[in-house]
Order: sequence, then C-alpha cells, then structure tokens
Amino acid sequence: MKCEWVKENVLLYVYNELPDDARYELEQHLARCADCTAELKTTRKFHAMLSELPVEEPSPNLVAASRMRLQEGLETAEQGRFWHRLIFDPAAWLRQIRFAPALAAAIFIVGFAGGIGTTYKVVNGNGASTASGPVSLPAESSITGIQSIAQDPGSNHISIKYDTVSTQEAQGSLNDQRIQQLLLFAARNNYNSGVRMDSVDLLTQEPNNTHVREALIYALRYDSNPGVRLKALDGLGAFVKSDTRVRDAVLEVLMEDSNPGVRTQALRLLEPVRADSSVRIVLQKLAESDRNPYIQSQARNTLQELPEID
Amino acid sequence: MPAEAWAVPFAVGKSCHREAMREKASGSQNPELRGNMAGQASGRIDDTLLVREAQRGNRAAFEELVRQYDQAVLRLAIHLTGSEHEAQDVYQEAFLKAYKSIGNFRFECSFYTWIYRIVTNLCLDHLRKRQVRKEDAPVATDAAGEQYDVLDQVPDGRSGANPERDLMRRELGKRIGHALEKLTPRERMVFELKHYHGLKLRTVGEVLNTTEETAKNTLFRATQKLRGALADMR
Repeated sequence: MKCEWVKENVLLYVYNELPDDARYELEQHLARCADCTAELKTTRKFHAMLSELPVEEPSPNLVAASRMRLQEGLETAEQGRFWHRLIFDPAAWLRQIRFAPALAAAIFIVGFAGGIGTTYKVVNGNGASTASGPVSLPAESSITGIQSIAQDPGSNHISIKYDTVSTQEAQGSLNDQRIQQLLLFAARNNYNSGVRMDSVDLLTQEPNNTHVREALIYALRYDSNPGVRLKALDGLGAFVKSDTRVRDAVLEVLMEDSNPGVRTQALRLLEPVRADSSVRIVLQKLAESDRNPYIQSQARNTLQELPEID
Repeated sequence: MPAEAWAVPFAVGKSCHREAMREKASGSQNPELRGNMAGQASGRIDDTLLVREAQRGNRAAFEELVRQYDQAVLRLAIHLTGSEHEAQDVYQEAFLKAYKSIGNFRFECSFYTWIYRIVTNLCLDHLRKRQVRKEDAPVATDAAGEQYDVLDQVPDGRSGANPERDLMRRELGKRIGHALEKLTPRERMVFELKHYHGLKLRTVGEVLNTTEETAKNTLFRATQKLRGALADMR
C-alpha cells in the first residue's frame, strides 16, 4: 500500500511539487525500500532524458523583429480600441456591471430616485422657479452644485444660484434658514473654490450657530484651497478660548497644514491660549524641529514669553 | 524603428517577475533552463503600476510590459510550434489581444498568468489545427519560410566536439519530439509548462483555467504516454 502511494507520488517528488510532510514521508520510505528507490532512479533518468530536447532562447534578431512588427500592429490597434470598447462591445459593459454589484446598485438607486422625483414634480406642477418667497427647503441630495453667491453691498441680502436638475436661484437674508443651508452645502461640497470661499466668508458672520461652526471647522481641516482654510480660520479665531474643538482644529492645522501662511495665522490665533497645556506641547514640538524655520522661531519666541510654571 | 526604441523612458524597477522567476527556477530540474528562466522575469508590484498606466492609455507602459514577457512568450511558442514563423504570429496575436483587452484586466490574477493564458490559448488552437492537418512535426519553417529540422537547432555544447554523441542526441531529440506530438494538445500544454518551463502545477492550473488537481492528473497521463512511447530509449 505504501509502495503504491510512493509510486503515485514519485513524479511529483521529482518535480518538487510535494508538500513538506508528504516529501518527508516519501524520503523516509525510500531510505528502507529498494523497489521504490529503483522507481525514483528510473523516473529521474526519464526526466533527464526528456530534457535532452532543450528549450531554445529566441535569437536577438527574432525578438527585435517581433517587437517591431508588434509596434506597427499597435499603431493601428489603438485607433479602433476606443470605439470597440464604447460601442461594439456591450457584452463587456454587462460583464463590468456584473462584476461591480455596488455600481449596479448605485445606478438602480439613482434611476429610482430620479423617477420618484420627476413624478413628484409632475404631480405638484412645480417647475424650476426663482424662489424669493417661502418655497420649501431644497433637499441636500437634490442640489448638484452651487453656481454663485453674491451679497448686495451694504445690505443683508444674499443671492445664491444653485443647480438641482435645472439651475435655481434662492434669495434671502443670512438669517434665512434656506440660505444658511445652501451656504453650508456650498462650504462642504462645491467643486468651485471661489464659491466655497464666498460661502465660508458669509458663514463667518454667523459663527455662533453650531452648524456653521462645524462647517467652518470642516473647511479648515479639509478644504483643498488655502484661501478657504484661511477664511475659516479667521472666522473661528474668536472661539479658540471657549471651544476646545476649535482649539484642537487650529492646533491640528498648525501641525499639519501644507500651507505656511495658514500655519502662521493659526500660530497667531493661538496666542491667547498659549499657556494651555495642549498648545504648549505643540509649541515645544514646533520649536524643537519644524520644517519651516520661521514657524520654528516664532514658536520658540512664544514659548520664551510664557511663565515657567502655569 | 530600431529595437532600442523599445527602451521606453518609463521609470520602473529593473527587478521584474521576481516571484515568477523564483517559482520557475525552483520548479525546473534543468540547471541550464534555470539560468534561462532568470533572464527576463521579476516582481508584480511593478506590473501593477505598468498595467494601470497601460489601462489609462499609456502605450509606453504597455510596451514595457511586453519587454518584460516577450522573450518568455517567444520561448514557449517556439518550443510548442517548432517554428519561428508561427511563434512570431502567436506573439503578435497574443500581445495585440492583450493590448485591446487590457482595460478588462481586473487584477484577479497576475498579469504574468493573464498573458500566459492568452498565449497558451493561441498555442492550443495551433496544436489542435496541426492535429487536424496531421503535419509531420519536426519539419518546420523559419521566419524566411524555408523548411528546417527543429532538432538541427539543438546546440552541441554538451556533447563537445564528439560528432557521434551529437548525432545520438539529435536522434533522441527527434524521438522525444515525435512522442510529444502524440499527446493531446492539453496534455502537451501541461507537460510543456511544467517540464520545459518549470511552472508550478498551481500556476499551470490558473493559466489553463482549471484546478491544480486536474493539471496534476493531466501531467500524470502525459508522462505515462511519453514513457510508453519512449520505452525502448531507456
């Protein structure tokens, strides 16, 4: 029985394909079985004989010629590829959807929501409107982008153009809940940094509102535009003393922000709370080793001005 | 365009196919072959980067991928078809196919496995067609279309300057060639990938879209047939 197993597996042994335990078992058996050792010898001999038909390396000339021919082929293949993928291969599209259930689900949900939304509009007879009266609040999910934000000079009147399915316009004062909602949306989501800047600028006029403060902290931490971050920082400056969340966000910016201007402003804003232990630790870190020499020296100066013991 | 034009200025590590190479080298019993295998291959991290670039339409990245694998592809195709001319056709068709469908590559296997899958499918088609035509295998045509004996290409390095031994080796090579021709295309492919190209059976299974167990059984069958056909040579 054992010999039978060895004879079945001796080929895999020669090809180095046996797992370690089976290999060990086989070697143990070979050490005491002359028949199986003879079988191994025959298999090895046969294996070596087959290797007499060598695998030739392709000649450099053949490789070069093949590459050149392929390069010519690629020139013409490239043209058709785009159309082939887009138009003539719907099976590939289906295959992609099949392998991406999340995408399929998303397409389904978007289609379903779109259908419901359209039906709702048709039933209520509401088209796109210039809303200056008490129009219902736009749901955040229906806003696709904010086009522009403008404030009438010397007045409290703000005008916001935003896109849903079609572009709409909302007008009102900063106290208007709808205007605030749109500004908050713009501060977080808009792709246009100019619009984000305008909305953050206006929101800084309402820093006592918790939603506004959250939006400013969000903009300070995550906005890609340094100008927007700087505006948010200015709006939050008054709260570094009273709101620890604001203080933490400003400290984080001081440590991590990529823009030296934003960091310098953060350092300046933290002056009133420089004796706070968390601020002190950050200042010590900066004074020891900061990539920006100016910030390092400023941190050092601020620390020197601090009393030795709190 | 000169062959040097393929040295595209694309910043990738020189250590490509490391994993595949290690696998091949450890699987191969032939030291000479082991050396050959080390020639072209290494790591898959670089491949991922190149494949992503190629998927974005960067042709230089695709050409770099070709450079990494094309000698292995030619080596396999020449050994299987016995003809430089046909190997060139397989090469051309395989890489054009890869180029056109690289957008559908989903990284479910390595690029190395994927390109081998394309090449082996083309070679299998070739072997099936040849079986139908019942051509006499070792007589093949070179790139210029002239007929030559594949086994005449065997170098006499190991036989030194001994013409008698060289003749015997050629005769043996011819017999092995004929025996290989008698295998079914699939048996031939499994045997080829395992014995002559040193791939692990797990990889052979992946390349041929089957399980390791099936590849193992096919290898047993192929070996048994070859032993039968070459019984008098032992």
